[in-house]
Amino acid sequence: MDQFKLGLGLFIFLAIPPVATFMESVMVIHMHMQMPMLIIAGLLIAPFFQQRFPRFFEKWNQNGLPGILLFIIIIGYWMLPRTMDEALTLQSVEIFKFISLPFLAGVPLRDSWKKLTDFQKNSVITFFTIAFLGMGALYTLAPDQLCNNYLIIEQLTLGWAFLLTAVGMIVYLLYVAFVDPSQYE
Amino acid sequence: MSAQTLKDKTNEVLGVNLEDAKLTKSYLLVAFIALLLGGLFGLLQGINRAGLIELPTWLNYYQVLTAHGLLLIVVFSGFFMIGYFYSGLSHTLGGLLPKVRKLGWIGYGLSMFGTVLVVIMVLMNEASVLFTFYPPMKANPIFYFGLVFVVLGIWACCFGAFIQVANWRKENKGQHLPILSFFATGAFILLLACTLFVAVEVLFLILPWSLGWVDTINVMLARTLFWAFGHTAVNIWYMTAVSAWYVIVPRVIGGTLWNDTLTRVVVVALVIMNITGGFHHQIVDPGISDTIKYMHVFMSLAIGFPSLMTAYALFVVMERTGRRKGGKGVFGWLKKLPWGDVRFLAPFIAMLAFAPAGAGGIAQTTFQLNSVVHNTMWVVGHFHLTLGMSVAMTFFGISYWLIPYLSGRVLTPAINKLGVIQTIIWSGAMILMAFAMHTAGLFGSPRRTSYTTYGDHAAALGWDPYMMLIGIGAVLLLIGVLIQFYVVINLMFFAPKGQTEFPIAPKEPGDVTGYWTERWGVWVVLMIIVVAMAYVVPIVDMIVNAPPGSPPFRTW
Repeated sequence: MDQFKLGLGLFIFLAIPPVATFMESVMVIHMHMQMPMLIIAGLLIAPFFQQRFPRFFEKWNQNGLPGILLFIIIIGYWMLPRTMDEALTLQSVEIFKFISLPFLAGVPLRDSWKKLTDFQKNSVITFFTIAFLGMGALYTLAPDQLCNNYLIIEQLTLGWAFLLTAVGMIVYLLYVAFVDPSQYE
Repeated sequence: MSAQTLKDKTNEVLGVNLEDAKLTKSYLLVAFIALLLGGLFGLLQGINRAGLIELPTWLNYYQVLTAHGLLLIVVFSGFFMIGYFYSGLSHTLGGLLPKVRKLGWIGYGLSMFGTVLVVIMVLMNEASVLFTFYPPMKANPIFYFGLVFVVLGIWACCFGAFIQVANWRKENKGQHLPILSFFATGAFILLLACTLFVAVEVLFLILPWSLGWVDTINVMLARTLFWAFGHTAVNIWYMTAVSAWYVIVPRVIGGTLWNDTLTRVVVVALVIMNITGGFHHQIVDPGISDTIKYMHVFMSLAIGFPSLMTAYALFVVMERTGRRKGGKGVFGWLKKLPWGDVRFLAPFIAMLAFAPAGAGGIAQTTFQLNSVVHNTMWVVGHFHLTLGMSVAMTFFGISYWLIPYLSGRVLTPAINKLGVIQTIIWSGAMILMAFAMHTAGLFGSPRRTSYTTYGDHAAALGWDPYMMLIGIGAVLLLIGVLIQFYVVINLMFFAPKGQTEFPIAPKEPGDVTGYWTERWGVWVVLMIIVVAMAYVVPIVDMIVNAPPGSPPFRTW
């Protein structure tokens, strides 16, 4: 249960008001650091739920697809500029962020990932690569402020971060397409 | 018998692969010719700073400074590093593949061509830009084209090394990469990653501007890209030296590698955390926000951790070896170390020098201390301690066994003695010089300026005694350079024939290494993430909120 404690600790750390406020004060840290860290907290907590409710996961997430679908929906929701804005202005949405990202995205991701085939895994990554390219284009090309809470310069920075992340994912996809690790290890 | 073991056996019997030896010897020869020329320019510079000579109009101080820096920082260190690691790859991975050797030669050709272009431009006084192609100072475009070729040459060598390592891992599944090749892999990954930054700077910013296609350049952005490379380059040479401290020195003193996993963790840590340290060179630059400068303190100091681990590990190795040989008491083991062996003495003094050098570096990391010493002689002193002493002396120490190993000759007692004398001269001169430079820097003497008394200002006249010490140091160092060059030529062409060992320390019995250290894919991804976290925010800010841009300046 060490992972569980680590995950819970990370979750509590991220929820401490000064930490949350600081991370949300910079757009790119909000989206590319706080949100992924919440998901990571969920990933670490996941084994706790998997052991507690094995039947539940077996019944509802037998082949991993429902879980990964839920993950995609939650992440898709949090990629909308409006939701990020609302997380800052409405406390209920902020609370939803802290619950949905670890428990509705992180936990199902951990449970689903092992059940997916390689093709399905790479499809998920391809989907997010395309989505990130789209988001990158949106944030770098939009002439207006998309979030009331962040300046255009921050929006641009986030856009570039999306584009670079997508580039990194493309490199990864090319790597798995052309390199066979079993030849080396 | 498999092809691999056959190759190993042949290697064992025949010694070094002659074709690989030729490649490495060519690199080392260029490195030491650069040392000789760079040392000569250093002498001119030193005695000019001491106020002893006035340089002729056709050879001005800034030209000499640029040549000194380029020849020693880029050519000497770069060529030595590539030659040394290629010989390490060849020795530990059973000989270079033919295509890797070819890439090594292509890299050699491209780098040489580039270096010649650069040197011609410097000698023609067309590129006295103080060796850091640092806008808004603008050199002749051919200077920058020369640098492009140097970078292309480096890339050829990087890819060669990666192909060699990948091939070995394919043939030796599940095995750990031999430790020296592990160091080489890390160093070449860093070299490739950091030169990408400078390639972007030169291709997209500097070349169009120096050719006159665009009127202005984003100075802030260019400098940031430059330092992502420049800082890492310094650490690559340091890593090269460290590889010898970990792998070679224990063998020379008759000991073992202390902890294989720790050694590999140091390499991995240096790879992941290195590039982002570049910001600390721009502490006093305007246009970088306080938050980023605050972040850089952590990023720069992070590199201190692997260094501290190194210091600990190396002294453990030396103490254990000394005690095994019968050293008693708290410091008795020190007496058992082979002080008369230049292969140990030179790298040992290099390690000692790294203690004050590292401490000075930490002082420069913080804003307040940096404000005092920035752009003063202090920084020059720091650099002579780190590169001039820690790195160069380790390289010298390596040359005493690597060159005879490559040329099928032996290190004679006479040359060893000469090496010890060289080491003493070099250490004394560097200590003198570094002390004088650090002190003069604290008193405000600027760096990168020709000798001047600023109209006989009292403060400037107060620097004069230190400048004289620098001049004396420069003369002694040139003597050191001449001895070293003689030794290298002797070991390469004239020393008696014989067998020399490539000294690689064995692991301690029972020392098991985790296989996770071999996951280079993960380390590279982590490096990219760390680099992205450090650079995306400030670089977007520098591009979007760019200043008006600067036209080219020619200050000489």
